[in-house]
Amino acid sequence: MKNVLERLLNLLAFLLTVGRPVSAEEIRQTVAGYDPEGDEAFRRMFERDKDLLRRMGIPLETVQPTGSRTEVSYSIDPRKYGVPDPDLTEDERAALWFASQVVRIGGKTSDAGSFMKLGGTITSDALEPLSADLGEEADVLADMYEAVSGRRRLRLRYGDRERTISPYGLGHRRGHWYLVGVEKGETKVFRVDRMSNVAVTDDTFDRDLAITVAAELESHPWEAGREPSVTATVRIDPDLAWWAVRRLGRSTPTLDHEPDGSLLITLDVTNPDAFVGWVLGFGQSAEVLAPLEMRERIVARIKGEA
Amino acid sequence: MTRTASHLTRILALIPWVIAHPGTSVQEVCDRFGYRSHRELIRDLDLVFVCGLPGYGPGDLMVAYVEEDEVVVDMADYFATAPNLTAAESLALLAAGMTVLASGQGSEELGSAVEKLGRALLPDADEMLVVDMDAEPELATTLRNAASGGQVVEIEYTGLARGEHTVREIEPWIVYASMGNWYVSGHCRRAGGERVFRLDRIRRASPTDETFDVPSPRPQPPDGYVATEDDVVATIELKRGALWVLEYYRLDVVERDDDRAVVRFSTYEPLVAAQLLMRLGPHATLLEGPEVEGALTSLRTSLLARYSGF
Repeated sequence: MKNVLERLLNLLAFLLTVGRPVSAEEIRQTVAGYDPEGDEAFRRMFERDKDLLRRMGIPLETVQPTGSRTEVSYSIDPRKYGVPDPDLTEDERAALWFASQVVRIGGKTSDAGSFMKLGGTITSDALEPLSADLGEEADVLADMYEAVSGRRRLRLRYGDRERTISPYGLGHRRGHWYLVGVEKGETKVFRVDRMSNVAVTDDTFDRDLAITVAAELESHPWEAGREPSVTATVRIDPDLAWWAVRRLGRSTPTLDHEPDGSLLITLDVTNPDAFVGWVLGFGQSAEVLAPLEMRERIVARIKGEA
Repeated sequence: MTRTASHLTRILALIPWVIAHPGTSVQEVCDRFGYRSHRELIRDLDLVFVCGLPGYGPGDLMVAYVEEDEVVVDMADYFATAPNLTAAESLALLAAGMTVLASGQGSEELGSAVEKLGRALLPDADEMLVVDMDAEPELATTLRNAASGGQVVEIEYTGLARGEHTVREIEPWIVYASMGNWYVSGHCRRAGGERVFRLDRIRRASPTDETFDVPSPRPQPPDGYVATEDDVVATIELKRGALWVLEYYRLDVVERDDDRAVVRFSTYEPLVAAQLLMRLGPHATLLEGPEVEGALTSLRTSLLARYSGF
């Protein structure tokens, strides 16, 4: 372990200062720790080292041969190596540390290493009585983040088809991650956990500033459909009226409070299936009043027919 | 990260920090960079001392040692900043900060920390990353404070399916978000055992004067549904159109292929499962579970009565 660490520190120091791409052979001849190795042992060792540095986020680039350079060579751009200093005060760092210890992505809280890069961890034994789990898709999300921040197009499989998407941003909502992106000129929202074969391409794009993640995600399930919009009215009984108001949240449709404490909600539905499911979520305490076809639909669902 | 990668990250983070903070103490460096003993830190400084630039003579190697109680690192200008965060690390930090803020549980300092970090890491961070937690900030704050201080809370709770109101005293342990919903777990004095309550179903929460001893270590969020002795189990077949249920409920999956799944649903309230089955309509079939079957029949009867007026 000690030898590995020494070799890696020497390799990094060399690549950060040499100022030009260098070949594997030059590294072998120059950097302490590689010199006594045979060809095959050197090759394997160097592959492992490159791999490890790259997984740490160090921008070790492979440069293809051009002009007078006849071999593949390697370089690290010192300007891309370092962490940008967010200039946090100690109180801000402590607040961020606390947040990073109670929020989990992919089942884990933030690695201590990321805090060390920002100036060290905070010592605290207190287990806060707060926790939030942001789902399991940590690896895919890292790819999405890379694509969004680098304005690089994504290739991925979604809904039985390969697509190329210009990614605008990521949003977490109601327990799921979504990617907002443009595919063939159309702005769309994709569920991250339904993607597969994700690849970040080197193809970059210019952002259309009119598109924002928040605006694209702002919708209720019954609005997320492609059917013609139908205006529906639902009565929620007094016992659950408060809960309905709470669940509807910010983008509240028209609400009328009746004298008996019940609530009349008027909303526009483009996904009747989701609407029926939402109403049934109130059990016996909700009734669709209009239109008639929506009542028929819900009755069919109650009977288990459709 | 592998052990070597974590270790290297620690060294590459420590070097620039010590350079930027001349005169720093051994204890401070140990605290910040997670060294459990001074000896462990000194081993790493010794390692840095033998590394550097080709030539590897006295003028080429880095300088790193402890003098009195002071940590000294020099001749390492190329390591003057720590390596950049990876995409996964950046996302995890920003999303963690945004999550706590969106939950109404953040401080002013966290707000400015997230803003600064976003500015440094992600161009147009506000536009590119959004975390919406559907939180009940006041309830969450009340319950979290009570959990911190070991204070018994009286809650007015509406059961998931029956719409039944109960008033109960609970000893809250932890407030947490999972799969898009907020919960509080703790000991329920009415039920006489561990229970989990959804925050959006708590109409009111009032801390009482009574205190309790917080179990040590503090129980962390239960991984999935907390079963009780009174639970009933239903075996349900989910067809293609109902497979989304797997992503929203924690269930025992008995069988699974591309087009269908068979799951076991445990609940202390059969109506919860009945209501779900009704929502799923023809996309799901109840294979086994007499209590749930009974609940489904009575829910169906009462809803049809309600809709019979047309």
